[in-house]
Amino acid sequence: MLEPGAYGGGAVKTKGVKALLLPTWAVLGVFFLAPLVLMLAVSFRERGAYGGLRAMTDLTAYVRSGAWFANYVRSANPIYLSIAWRSLWMAVLTTVLCLLISYPVAWWIAVRAPRRWKNLLLGLVVVPFWTSFLIRTYAWMFILRGEGLLNAALLGTGVIHRPLELLYTPFAVMIGLVYGELPFMILPLYASLEKLDRTLLEAASDLGAGGAAVFRRVTVPLTLPGIVAGVVLVFIPSLGQFVVSDLLGGAKSMLLGNLIQNQFAVARNQPFGAALAFELTAAVLLLLLAYALYMKKKGEEVLL
Amino acid sequence: MSDSGPESDLRIGSPWPRRLLVSHGVLVYLFLYLPIAVLVVFSFNAARQTAVWTGFTLDWYRRLLRDGVLLGAVRNSLEVAAVTTVVATVLGTLAAFALGTLGRSPAGFRGQRATQALLMLPVVIPEIVLGAALVTFFGVSHLRLSLATVIIAHVVFSISYVAIVVRARLAGLDPALEEAARDLGAGAFDTFRRVTLPLLLPGVVASALLVFTLSIDDYVITSFVAGVGATTLPLHIYSMLKVGVTPEVNAVSTLLLAVTVVLIVAAQRLLQEDRRTT
Amino acid sequence: MKRTVWILLAIGIMVTACRGGKDRAAEAAERKVNIYIWTNYLPQDVIADFEKRTGIKATVDTYDSNETLLAKMQSGVADYDIIVPSDYTLKVMVPQGLVVELDRARLTGIDNLDPRFLNQKYDPGNRHSIPYLWGTTGIGYDKKKIKEPVDTWRVMFEQRYAGRILMLDDVRDAFGVALRLMGKSINETDPAVLRQAADMLKKQKALVKTYDSSDFANLLAAGDVDIAQGYSGEIAEVVAHAPNRLAYVVPKEGGTLWIDNLAVPKTARHLDAAYEFLQYVMQPEIAARIVNGVHYAGANKAAWERIDPKIRANAAIYPPPDVLARCELIEDLGPTTQLLDELWTEVKAQ
Repeated sequence: MLEPGAYGGGAVKTKGVKALLLPTWAVLGVFFLAPLVLMLAVSFRERGAYGGLRAMTDLTAYVRSGAWFANYVRSANPIYLSIAWRSLWMAVLTTVLCLLISYPVAWWIAVRAPRRWKNLLLGLVVVPFWTSFLIRTYAWMFILRGEGLLNAALLGTGVIHRPLELLYTPFAVMIGLVYGELPFMILPLYASLEKLDRTLLEAASDLGAGGAAVFRRVTVPLTLPGIVAGVVLVFIPSLGQFVVSDLLGGAKSMLLGNLIQNQFAVARNQPFGAALAFELTAAVLLLLLAYALYMKKKGEEVLL
Repeated sequence: MSDSGPESDLRIGSPWPRRLLVSHGVLVYLFLYLPIAVLVVFSFNAARQTAVWTGFTLDWYRRLLRDGVLLGAVRNSLEVAAVTTVVATVLGTLAAFALGTLGRSPAGFRGQRATQALLMLPVVIPEIVLGAALVTFFGVSHLRLSLATVIIAHVVFSISYVAIVVRARLAGLDPALEEAARDLGAGAFDTFRRVTLPLLLPGVVASALLVFTLSIDDYVITSFVAGVGATTLPLHIYSMLKVGVTPEVNAVSTLLLAVTVVLIVAAQRLLQEDRRTT
Repeated sequence: MKRTVWILLAIGIMVTACRGGKDRAAEAAERKVNIYIWTNYLPQDVIADFEKRTGIKATVDTYDSNETLLAKMQSGVADYDIIVPSDYTLKVMVPQGLVVELDRARLTGIDNLDPRFLNQKYDPGNRHSIPYLWGTTGIGYDKKKIKEPVDTWRVMFEQRYAGRILMLDDVRDAFGVALRLMGKSINETDPAVLRQAADMLKKQKALVKTYDSSDFANLLAAGDVDIAQGYSGEIAEVVAHAPNRLAYVVPKEGGTLWIDNLAVPKTARHLDAAYEFLQYVMQPEIAARIVNGVHYAGANKAAWERIDPKIRANAAIYPPPDVLARCELIEDLGPTTQLLDELWTEVKAQ
């Protein structure tokens, strides 16, 4: 494994290598940081009569009046907190389901599948992603609706006699979400399982542990970085999603993503939308900080 | 990737009986491919909306080729994806290399934390925030919305993915190889070009494919920053979803899928050959 | 390192802030027009014909909500020459200076238009727009499944149709239904009344299968729902395909009337082409072609004779005067928008 400091620093021109970072800093600085700072500034303003920003004439008076914090105060309203809570639960459920479904698959590919099939199997996991996300979601609508494929099949074979109401339910939303996130869980798990030292498993088994015990006490702890990476990659996007719940759930639930999008698109309340967005971002960053600290503790490389 | 250990008794450490494992795997793959199969199969269905198969036809593909608007959207998407992939891959690879090389010294380098954080943020920020922020920024700086603004937006969220993937790959490389090259007298640039880059290539290619996919598929951010005549495929599909989807959409998805599969296979072949000749 | 980054940032910002570009007058005379219009509002053959007759190259982008249009316009950097805002959206755009005052001398075609749709409150004297297409919001339903006569919004709150109801995914449209049932105007601003309306909608939510502002006609036609709130044109189209099964009605409590208007953004670069397009579209034969193509009612009186008789006779597309009399135009509610947004969030979030 990589030893920090093993690299001979003498021949490396540090300045020259640092310069390689400049283009990235320039592009991200101008087109990422600057817009975000702008948004942050917007989150402190008030909505104008027609949806723009209300003109602010006196900065000091504005700051002193506390109006600059109004959007953040408003976001603490119970209705918004309940939306955040529901989004959280949905993301947790999606992540857990993904993990439970993905682990055996990753195990199969990494440990049990014949060597020459590994890349193929892995590739097959990713290929569905090369169709448009909207189309894939629409395909699920096509499959799940009243006269959709699933019902047609079940009715045709006589398994049921009346079509099942599958579309526009939380069930459909879960399917859509889990479906979209599976590869993001399978790949990190695979990466972790691939590096697993089989001899350790052998040793544990030699010491008398059964299959399940070896799994619980050796495999899972050793693949924890992969599990955590997968969890992070699935949980974060799930928190902010809204398209799937709109299309497959019949737009009947209001999640954080819907709420934020609503502020920008419909309510035309950019300041409030920006405040909500930054709160979501802050929560995610805290999560990542925890992840980074955890990885540091384990001595593993963080994602970057 | 590290080589898997000795092919010892594969039953060791598996909490699941083999048959269960295989059937679970097969079911998951079926689940993954059900919508894709539906998409492809029904692109040949004569009927418009129903799940009933009424007959095989290439009509939708024919219509697709005559649908100027749809083809224009495809062209835009490909243009954006191509430029984005090149720019993001180059910038991201350079950044990952810099981070990895400089990060090897025990104290790190000044600005390391900041750079790492900077590269993490685009992945973490909700798309809608990024889209709104960018359009506000473009407005303030009087930069007219166009295909170029879409490309800028795509590059912004793509660099990080490249950096992450290449960085991971770099971390797995043996620094002794680079050292050896240097000991043999190669300059820094030469070392990069002939030793590091070829070793990084699978990671670079993988991240390029990832960026290409993300760009082709992006809806939310693009919807904010697209200008006149800059409708990309996802935007067009979204408006088609409003009007009523015809299997033309299935047809275009099938074709795109076919093209990307071909690209991947070709890339795989190239890499394998590369590995053999190096 | 830090200093270099700041310098680069500064350069970057300066570069993006500078605008190169052609001479403004030259741009205005360019033979191009960029049109930003509702999906399905301009038949392809009309666009092709326009290009052939005038030699102007038309680029058409589409949107599906007034809010999308407004957001693009408010950004100040969209590059369109023709936009099609609805009534209340135009009302909001005018004071923000987002649309130009039209030069009436260049728009002789206005004489062809139906005076009923001219000179509305949202644009007195039509200084900034000309009406294009209009319609109503009402109920589309399956005659075979709903045995009783449908003439009231109440039917969308009936327990026996639970799970077979579709509502538009739009705060004003949804609240409009509740407010009308309460005998109030759809532009009500009294918070107490609005809260009552919100309560009605919350109770209704359990009966609603889905909220959808785009696919409502298809879902009704496919049989996914039996009662759908929807816009006249699209429902009229599916009714035309299944007249024995489907029907459209504007309930007796009244519905919403909406008028979509052609306007020219302040940032438009190809003014001459824009005016040519407006004139072109106001010609009777072209207006008729558009109506025949999109199945929405047009605001062009002179085109009446050339419109497909089936469309003319379709009460869903061209409702009789008594129906129109009980319809209202949506108006922007100004500061009340925030309350309405909160209430809608409550309805959706429960």
